[in-house]
Amino acid sequence: MIFDRLIDYLRVSAHQVARKRMRVFLTALGIAIGVAAVVGTVSLGEGVRYQAVEAIKEQSDLTLIEATADIRGGAIQFITPAKIEELAAVQHVEASSAVVREAYTTKRQTYLEVVGIDPAGIEGVIRPKFLRGENLEPGSRQAVLGHDVAETLQRYEGVRFGDAVPILIRRYDEDGMPVDEEVTFTLVGVLQERDDAFDQVMLIDRGVAQELRGDETAFDGVLIRVDQPETVFGVVDDVKALGLTAKGAFQQIESVNQLMDVVVLILAFFAGVSLIVGVLMIVNTMVTSVFERTREIGITMAIGASPADVVHLILAECLYIGLIGGVLGDLLGIAFTGVINTFGKPFIVAQLDDTFSTFAEGDITLITPEILVIGMAIAIVLSLASGLYPALKASHLNPVTAIRTGV
Amino acid sequence: METIIETRHLSKAYNDRVTALADVNLAVWKGEFIALLGRSGSGKSTLLNILGGLDAPTSGEVRIGGKSVDFSDRKALIALRRESIGFVFQSFNLIPALTAQENVEYPLLFNYRDTAVRRERAADLLSLVGLADRAHHYPREMSGGEQQRVAIARALIGEPLIVLADEPTGNLDSKTRDEIFGLMRQVNEERETTFLIVTHERELGRRTDRTIKLLDGSVVA
Repeated sequence: MIFDRLIDYLRVSAHQVARKRMRVFLTALGIAIGVAAVVGTVSLGEGVRYQAVEAIKEQSDLTLIEATADIRGGAIQFITPAKIEELAAVQHVEASSAVVREAYTTKRQTYLEVVGIDPAGIEGVIRPKFLRGENLEPGSRQAVLGHDVAETLQRYEGVRFGDAVPILIRRYDEDGMPVDEEVTFTLVGVLQERDDAFDQVMLIDRGVAQELRGDETAFDGVLIRVDQPETVFGVVDDVKALGLTAKGAFQQIESVNQLMDVVVLILAFFAGVSLIVGVLMIVNTMVTSVFERTREIGITMAIGASPADVVHLILAECLYIGLIGGVLGDLLGIAFTGVINTFGKPFIVAQLDDTFSTFAEGDITLITPEILVIGMAIAIVLSLASGLYPALKASHLNPVTAIRTGV
Repeated sequence: METIIETRHLSKAYNDRVTALADVNLAVWKGEFIALLGRSGSGKSTLLNILGGLDAPTSGEVRIGGKSVDFSDRKALIALRRESIGFVFQSFNLIPALTAQENVEYPLLFNYRDTAVRRERAADLLSLVGLADRAHHYPREMSGGEQQRVAIARALIGEPLIVLADEPTGNLDSKTRDEIFGLMRQVNEERETTFLIVTHERELGRRTDRTIKLLDGSVVA
C-alpha cells in the first residue's frame, strides 16, 4: 500500500522533472561533481592502499606468523603444551612449531640471535631454501645460519660451511658474576636470502637449546605457517582469541591499512566540501520550483492533498535529482580516476623508490563496487536532505492565498 | 429533502475591522444547482472557501452532510476536502505537467485508491465531459474551455457531496461560457450532483434552480 503510493508520487514527480529537464540536469550535475570528487579521491586512496599491500605481500613471507606470550588482565598467558596444541588445531594453520629464543655470542663477541626449533618445524614452517648444506639433525649440536649472519661470520671471523663454531653461553654463578660456557656447534647449512628476520638468525635444535638453558619445559613462542595469504588475518584473530600475541609481516599490512584509513578519510572530507555547493544548488532549484508552483501546490491541497502528501511529492522530485546526480557522479568519478591514472601516475611513480616498483604496473586507483554504491547513496541522501526545507515550505502554504496570489 | 450544507450565523472578519461575512444563514439541498451572486468584495469567495474547508470562520457553524465541521481539526478538514467537496477554480487550474487523464485522476492519488479504479473513473468522466479523445493531451495543448471541462471531471472524481465552483467561466468567452455552464447543468441533472457556483454574471443566475445574493457579507436574496 505504502509502496503503491510511493510509485504514484514518483510517477507524478517524473512528469514534473521531465518538464524541466535542463534545470534538473544542471542541478544534478552540481551534486554529481561533488560525488565524482569523492569517488575519485577515495579510489585513489584505495588504489594506493592496494598497491602497498601487494608490495608487502610480494616482498615478505606473509603467511608466517609467530604467536608469543602476552599479558592479559594482569596475568601472563604462557606458551604451554596445551596452547601449542590449540594453535596447531586452528583452522587454516598448515604447520606450527614451538620455538625457544636465545641470545648467544661468538668468541669474538658477535651477537647471535638464536631460534631453537624442531628440524621438522624448519621444513614445515620456515620452509627454508638452502644456499649450502642441509637441515639440522634432531638432537645434535648443529646450526643453520641465516644469509646475513652467515656472511658476517664468514667475513669477520672466517667461519665457513662445515666448520665447528665455538659459541659462548653466558651464565651467572652464585655471586651473580657472569660465567661463559663454551659450546661447539657444527655449521651444517646456510639459508638463501629471505628479506625477513630469519636472515639474522641462527637455527638450532630446540631440545639442545632447552638443555643448554637448563629448562626443558619452557617455550618462547610458536611459529605458524598459514595455508594462504587471504586467511592470515583470520588466523591472527584466532591466535589473539587464545590470549596470545601475534607477530609477522601482516603487521606491516595492518599499519598500512590504519594509515590509509586516515588518509582516505581526510581526502574524502576535502573532496566532500564540493558537495556543499551541490546541496546549495538543489536547495536553490527546489525553492525556485516551489515558488513557481505556488498556485499549483495550493490547488493540490484544495483537492485533498495533506501537507505530508505535498512533502512527499517534492521529495520524490529530489529523489530523481539524487538518482541522476549519483549516476552522473559515479560516471564522472570513473572518468576522473582515468585522468589520475593517465597523468598522475607517472608523477607518483617517479617519487617512489624500488620498494614500490609494483606501482608502475597497473592502475594506481581502485574503484570498488562499494565506492560506487556509497557515491550513489551520498547523492540520494543529500538530495533528499536538501529538498526537506523547500518541501516543508511548500507544505506550509495556505491554499487560499496560494491559489489567489500564486504565479 | 436531504440537506447537504447548512450554515448558522456564519461570520468572518479579517483583523477585527474588515467584515467579509456577517451572520450568513443558508441551506443547500441535495441535487440543487445554485448560483452565488454578488459584486467583487461581497464575500462570495470567502464563503466558498469556508464551505470547502480551506478557510475558517470567525464565528458560527457549518454543517456538511449533517455533521458540524470542526475548523481546528486539520485532519478532518483534509478528509472533508478529499471526500465531500469538489473544487472548480477559475481557469489555469490544472497541473501543467500532467495529461488530462492524469489531472482527473490526481485527487484520487490523495484518496489512496488503486490505479485501476482511478483509470476507469477518470476515463468515464472524460467521456462525460466530451474529452475522451484528448485524454493524453497536456493542458497547454487544450483550449480554455477544454481545460475547464477537465477541471469539472476532476472535481467529480471523488464523488463529492457538492461541487464548489469559483467563477468557473470568468476567463472564458461567452460561447464557451455557455457550454461550460450547460455541461455543469447536464451533470447536475443526470447525476444529481449538487452545484454551488460563484458568478457575477446575472444572466447565468437565471438558468439555475436558485440564486443566493451576497452584499457586503450578508445574504440579501
